[in-house]
Amino acid sequence: MSAAGVVKARGEALVEFTGVSVVFDGRVRALDDVTLAIGKGEIVGLVGESGSGKSTLCRVLVGLTPPSSGTVTVGNRPVREQLAQGALAFRRRAQLLLQDAVASLSPRMTIGRTLEEPIAIHALPRAEALARLSAILKRLGLSSDVLAKFPHQISGGQARRVGVARALLMRPEIIVADEPTAGLDVSVQGELLNLLLDLQREFGLTYLLVSHNLNVIRRVTGRTAVMYLGQIVEEAATRELFAAPAHPYSAALLSTNPAVDPRKRFERIVLQGEIPSAVNPPGGCRFHTRCPVAQERCTTDPPFLRPLEGDRSVRCHFPYSLDRRRH
Amino acid sequence: MRSIPVSGRSADDEVEVTSPLVSIRKLTLDATTARGTAHILRGIDLDIGKSRILGVVGESGSGKSSLAACLVRLLPANVASIGGEIVFDGVDLLALDERAMNAYRGTRIAMIFQDPMTALNPLFTVGTHLVDVLRRRHPGLPRDDAEQRAIAALGSVGIADAPLRLVSYPHQLSGGMRQRVMIAMALLVEPDLLLADEPTTALDATVEAQIVSLLEELRRSFSGSIVFISHHLGLVAQLCDDLCVMYGGTIVESGPVSEVLGAPRHPYTQALLACELDDEDAGGRLKSIPGEVPDPVDVRNACVFAPRCRYAKEVCLEGVPALREAGPGRRAACVRWEQIAFDVVEESA
Repeated sequence: MSAAGVVKARGEALVEFTGVSVVFDGRVRALDDVTLAIGKGEIVGLVGESGSGKSTLCRVLVGLTPPSSGTVTVGNRPVREQLAQGALAFRRRAQLLLQDAVASLSPRMTIGRTLEEPIAIHALPRAEALARLSAILKRLGLSSDVLAKFPHQISGGQARRVGVARALLMRPEIIVADEPTAGLDVSVQGELLNLLLDLQREFGLTYLLVSHNLNVIRRVTGRTAVMYLGQIVEEAATRELFAAPAHPYSAALLSTNPAVDPRKRFERIVLQGEIPSAVNPPGGCRFHTRCPVAQERCTTDPPFLRPLEGDRSVRCHFPYSLDRRRH
Repeated sequence: MRSIPVSGRSADDEVEVTSPLVSIRKLTLDATTARGTAHILRGIDLDIGKSRILGVVGESGSGKSSLAACLVRLLPANVASIGGEIVFDGVDLLALDERAMNAYRGTRIAMIFQDPMTALNPLFTVGTHLVDVLRRRHPGLPRDDAEQRAIAALGSVGIADAPLRLVSYPHQLSGGMRQRVMIAMALLVEPDLLLADEPTTALDATVEAQIVSLLEELRRSFSGSIVFISHHLGLVAQLCDDLCVMYGGTIVESGPVSEVLGAPRHPYTQALLACELDDEDAGGRLKSIPGEVPDPVDVRNACVFAPRCRYAKEVCLEGVPALREAGPGRRAACVRWEQIAFDVVEESA
């Protein structure tokens, strides 16, 4: 099973997922026929509810979860092959920022030891790596006193920066950030996102950014993929997606984020029920059981991700059929 | 109490301007920590109107959950002292002994918690939860009657197959269903005051939308007052009548929700709104509030927001500003709000 049309990233693709599926225990279809291209220097957003496959997609990209079928390439070479020929070199290319920044730091190691550990593991020239580390810490606004501290002695915002420092030390090409602002107060999330944006420009980085915060996705990413039950149901330029979602699920999801200003608010589209189980997903279109505009065909005929006008693709037989209304 | 005539009605059909359901005055809460005494709430003055929905917003550590905990007097063990008064329908809750206070819980005051899994007892069925609540509220209610009312309550919160769900255990329900059960329990209490502490934060976006729609529907039939604690300004704007903004254990601004969010008086409310990234057309740098949240142990006799406030002047460090009138029905704890409002208009002109 493969997509009829493949959306190409603008410019040179750094990452390409082609028909990627991941099946756990032979029955949980966590990812199903995912095709996605991420261009060099792009910031791509990934949205969807829990169980939609966002985290599995992230883990596949950085080589932590092998795909059951389909191929993933980073820099035009399959990840599988790169891992076989030198796992460490590949892991330096693609770094993962974990959702729980504090839990991703060992409570028994000082921040300094945590940051120096990868230098030994990857056998980097020590003097040079330490010099780079101190430059990175300075750039991230972390004073050298944090090195002597343990994770419980630093703030959540500092723990995020330590995670970013650890990733940057490897000179990655792509950073996969799983909910980088989760648990941060709104007054500080802007600062962290500005930092990530600056680093992207300075180091020519590529980001895949997962967030349930639709405001963050809208402000930070260039393109966005919307996931539902293991599949990408829509992918488009972020601006165009938010202006006019084509997939009914995208339309409903975006309507759940009320703006403070009532003039900018859309009428909420309330879906019935909850996201079905990935063990026994609905036949036909996976979204048909909750789709307010589903038709006969949707119950039997599974749609493929297909290109629409503009730089957009959608997995729906009847795109743009669910209209949002302003209040 | 005074009454005012309302146009279009006869003279006998007057609407009363009633006293609030809850009047909180000079509420303080101190807790013992390893570093010393933490001042969690620092002199809260707040009224909760009858049949109003009051939104309480603030960042972590602002004291919003502690405020709710004080209202039911369910406080953690490290609380060293609680001061001031919480007058609920004429009775100061803080002056009651534990037994008298307990008579209010689950009868006149009910609470919906953030995480419905930990709030429901895993050993009891949904039916037992609901029947227990009813029998506490109406001692002597026959079990059959209670079950019938429980089934009706589940139906009213949008749970299909209510009779079947009555024998389900919490782990057999999804997160959204559990929160619906919590809401059904709270509604069966028919409380005068319903406290909802981030009731949708643990839920997925489309399920959150369902619960918010349910709360909107229920507010038409529910006659009590609701305190809705949230960090989501958009949600509060949509759901609430009144708003109170907390920072560092104090209330910095309060008033009708549309007015506070439409033209905030306090610099903190302004800064918080600027950090909301919900502007469709905005570009450029993302806003944040520089500096750090105040330390509850190291409390100064000055405006709590002054160290992070872009408008702060000498005068802001001379004592804690009073929460004073800032327009009809509005209050702000800023000595300079009139001047700042003027400056903001000048800036944008």
